[in-house]
Amino acid sequence: MDKVMSNRLVAALYVLPALLLLLVLVYIPIVLTGYYGLMQWDGIGAMTFIGLDNYTRLLQDSTFWQSANHTFLLALFSALSLIGYLMIALVLSGKIKGANFFRKIYLIPMLLSSVAIAQLWLKIYHPSNGVLNSFLEAIGFSNPPAWLAEPSLVLYALFVPILWQYAGFYILIYYAALKNIPESLIEAARIDGANPWQIAFRIKLPLITEVIKVTVVLAVVGSLKYFDLIYVMTDGGPNGSSEVMASYMYRQAFRSFDFGYGSAVGFFLLLICLVVTWLLRKATASKDTIQYS
Amino acid sequence: MNKKTLAMILSWTLILAVILSGCNNSGSGTSKESGSNASGGDSGGDGKVTLKFMHLWPAGSSAQQNKLVNDIIQQYQTDNPNVTIKQEVLENEQYKNKLKILSASNELPDVGVTWAAGFLEPYVKGNLFAPLDDLLKGDLGEKFIAGTTEAYAVDSKTYALPIELNISPIYYNKAIFEKYNLQTAATYDEFLNVVKTLTDNGEVPIALGNKDRWTGSLWYMYLANRVGGDALEKAINGSGKFDDPALTQAAAEVQKLVHMNAFNKGFNGLSNDEGKSEFMNEKAAMYLMGTWELPNFTTNPDIPQEFKDKVGFFKFPTIDGGKGDINSWVGGPGVGLFAAQNSKVKDEAQKFIQYFVEKWGESSVTEAGVIPATKVDTAAVQLPQLYIDLLNELNQASSLTLFADVQMKPAAAQAHLDMIQALFGKAVTPEDFVKNHQAAIDKGN
Amino acid sequence: MKMEPAVRLPVGPETGHSPAWMRRIGYVLLYVLLSLVALPQILPLIWLLLFSLKNNQEVFDMAPFALPATPRWENYVKVWTEGNISLYFFNSVWITVVSVVFTVLFASLVTFAITRMRWKGRSLVLGLFMVGLMIPVHSTLIPLFSLFLKLNLTDHPLSVILSYIAFNMPITIMILLGFYYALPREVEEAAVMDGCSVNRIFFRIVLPMTASVIATTAIINMIYDWNEFIFVNTFISSDAYKTLTVGVQNFIGQYTTDWGAIGATLMISILPILIAFLVLSERIVEGIAAGSVKG
Repeated sequence: MDKVMSNRLVAALYVLPALLLLLVLVYIPIVLTGYYGLMQWDGIGAMTFIGLDNYTRLLQDSTFWQSANHTFLLALFSALSLIGYLMIALVLSGKIKGANFFRKIYLIPMLLSSVAIAQLWLKIYHPSNGVLNSFLEAIGFSNPPAWLAEPSLVLYALFVPILWQYAGFYILIYYAALKNIPESLIEAARIDGANPWQIAFRIKLPLITEVIKVTVVLAVVGSLKYFDLIYVMTDGGPNGSSEVMASYMYRQAFRSFDFGYGSAVGFFLLLICLVVTWLLRKATASKDTIQYS
Repeated sequence: MNKKTLAMILSWTLILAVILSGCNNSGSGTSKESGSNASGGDSGGDGKVTLKFMHLWPAGSSAQQNKLVNDIIQQYQTDNPNVTIKQEVLENEQYKNKLKILSASNELPDVGVTWAAGFLEPYVKGNLFAPLDDLLKGDLGEKFIAGTTEAYAVDSKTYALPIELNISPIYYNKAIFEKYNLQTAATYDEFLNVVKTLTDNGEVPIALGNKDRWTGSLWYMYLANRVGGDALEKAINGSGKFDDPALTQAAAEVQKLVHMNAFNKGFNGLSNDEGKSEFMNEKAAMYLMGTWELPNFTTNPDIPQEFKDKVGFFKFPTIDGGKGDINSWVGGPGVGLFAAQNSKVKDEAQKFIQYFVEKWGESSVTEAGVIPATKVDTAAVQLPQLYIDLLNELNQASSLTLFADVQMKPAAAQAHLDMIQALFGKAVTPEDFVKNHQAAIDKGN
Repeated sequence: MKMEPAVRLPVGPETGHSPAWMRRIGYVLLYVLLSLVALPQILPLIWLLLFSLKNNQEVFDMAPFALPATPRWENYVKVWTEGNISLYFFNSVWITVVSVVFTVLFASLVTFAITRMRWKGRSLVLGLFMVGLMIPVHSTLIPLFSLFLKLNLTDHPLSVILSYIAFNMPITIMILLGFYYALPREVEEAAVMDGCSVNRIFFRIVLPMTASVIATTAIINMIYDWNEFIFVNTFISSDAYKTLTVGVQNFIGQYTTDWGAIGATLMISILPILIAFLVLSERIVEGIAAGSVKG
């Protein structure tokens, strides 16, 4: 077994095409971003080497750290929302009629492009004739807030469409993972007299631990990098109250023509993702990967 | 053959395809249209010239401009059969994005669109735009309205030729005004009265969508002008300072308007389009915006005629004891055309620009509803009344102040826009507003 | 041959079954809950349909779910003919298909090699792929553009396809990883004892076993690639290669925006992916049935 599975040549053939693409198309930009981060550059003219100045500026940049706060908040909410998705997937994977139907419906938001989602939610949040405020006024709230214009509310208002957009994605993954558990195991447990709750929590969940870990990393890293809806719906406003790190980076690089600094922000974001992922892996390090046999 | 070989072949074929297509394109002299790289066109040995022209008038949304552009291109190609013009069309934001990316690799199109002053500067400093002064030496130089080409000059060389000119009146809904017996305001006190009457009667006085921030900037600029004359311009270009009390007062006036609930609810989170629709749907009485909106109030078939008939305009009122006069407008040249410095067909590019500016100036008002930067003979063209009135105003204008976020250098412009949103959102005091501006200008970028 | 659990699973003490009526209510509540969650997911589609049938004025003026005065089907006609949408549609389709096929193929190969085969450096390679997940997309635009320029691939669909493959592999691999870890090993052991080569094991045994997760990652990749915008916008200049997402932008102008047309374009762009999704969705269910271990 070992001998067959240790065939280096085959392993290389399997891995090389992908690795090559990755190194060229992903790592070169990563390296270049780090490189540009060491420069004073407007993206157009000449570059001047300024060493770590951009990074020291970054560490003292309160606007950046404010955006970082917002980003971490998003990551937290994302991770927490996974619990909800997991519950839904558990329900769907049980013997429910129409599970298929529901599963498909839940994925629909993911099919929409960010443009469509942004437009939809802008209509929902419109201060005077939006769906939400019209509804609130109808049930008696006289002056519902302008959700996207209030600095204290805008960030949370944005979390809703962001999380909603990805709900289907995680439900899909959990569902597929749960369905992959051999029916025989569930049957055996049922025969032993376990009720649905026990089956869910003592059997199903532990068996998909690896998948859950993966989704946590995906959700957190995805949130740290998140850009789309923030940019389209509020452009980080009003006045930076919904800015996240990726939109801040974009603003510096492409709007303020401060490409060196923007690159430093981008590279720093990458480093943050690395550290967070490492911490996550450490925190969820498994004793043993549970297998079926 | 078995699956292993198949899979391997598939994978390596892909990689091979990359290499081969690369070699293919650089090897062959005549790369087919689709395979040509994004740099400027070439001039082949037999005199054939390909010109790459990138602009921001997509057929879907800017149908009239797009048609005009295509007509001009067709005409040029007929008159110059050895020239082919390849267009790349992008929407506004994406255009700016792409321009940036292309310039980082020094791959600008031969002819492209740019904005004036602060926007233009980094490109000029990076030696990416070619000076176009030669084009101004002939008749063409005379045709431009005073001050328009200056906005495109750096160190007394002109780097782009403007094709749009805009001023910003306050549009208002005559029917709403009549309902409350209001007259258009000539002084700011009268204006505040109008605002108060409207709010007292439960109407929204002013439509504003300040998510994009430049819209709010228009209000601030007018107030700064009416109070302090050219104080703002001086502060921006460094010959003055932001601690000029006029500038602080203007900021305070903005907040006064916000306190009075002069603007539609949630304006700081609404886009310009959303703000505009408040006016278009007659939910707000006034709307301060540029003359590029005129087609919506005159020729646009999608807007009910009934509404269009209700729209009038008045000039931003003067402030007692202030330095600005009523004929001073916020506005200026819009976009202009540049020729890339490293273009392989620079001469042809310049020739095309000259042709384009002339032809565009002749027809842009009637065909596209756009006021060009070259003089328009109002007697000779058939125009809706609003156009004629505004063009006449333009001729009598005492001065034009270019939009602040175009005047300023990019980073300072961003700071200005952020401050505007903060000012309107009552998140910053007028004192801090001007302080932050001064700091941004001092940084020099 | 049925698999017997080798270990007695830890379940609680014998619990009696709850009375039938309680279970009934439980089910009803469950369905209500599920439907409540489903409603906000399906409303957007309806809204999009309505919005594509309005004109600019109505889009802003009327409530989102109000019906338009007259449905403006001409928005669709206009968009298909004027907006060059048919060309963009075709481009979106083939670029997506090619990208998805290769992404999933490469990712499966890599995940298999990392989880099933033993060789030095497999953790390193996995780490490299995971880091690829972390780069913010805007940081890559200028370097990649520069790179493609040197390779003469700007304004060429290959630049977009290769970028999609490279950037989607990390997430695909990560999803596959979770599933691969949980695959039972006896099957492979049996295969090896039968004298199968690695390739046989991968293509004939493991790949079919992972059909359901492959369908899953195919859907995910399809969605990302179909809706992707920034790479196409940056690397492609000629109309000939533009995709739908960029095509939508055609309707956003310097000063005005044609929302009805945008709605129509969005509807047209969501249909194929909706259909493909429904088809692949079935595959997931089928894959489960096929995925159980056969004797």
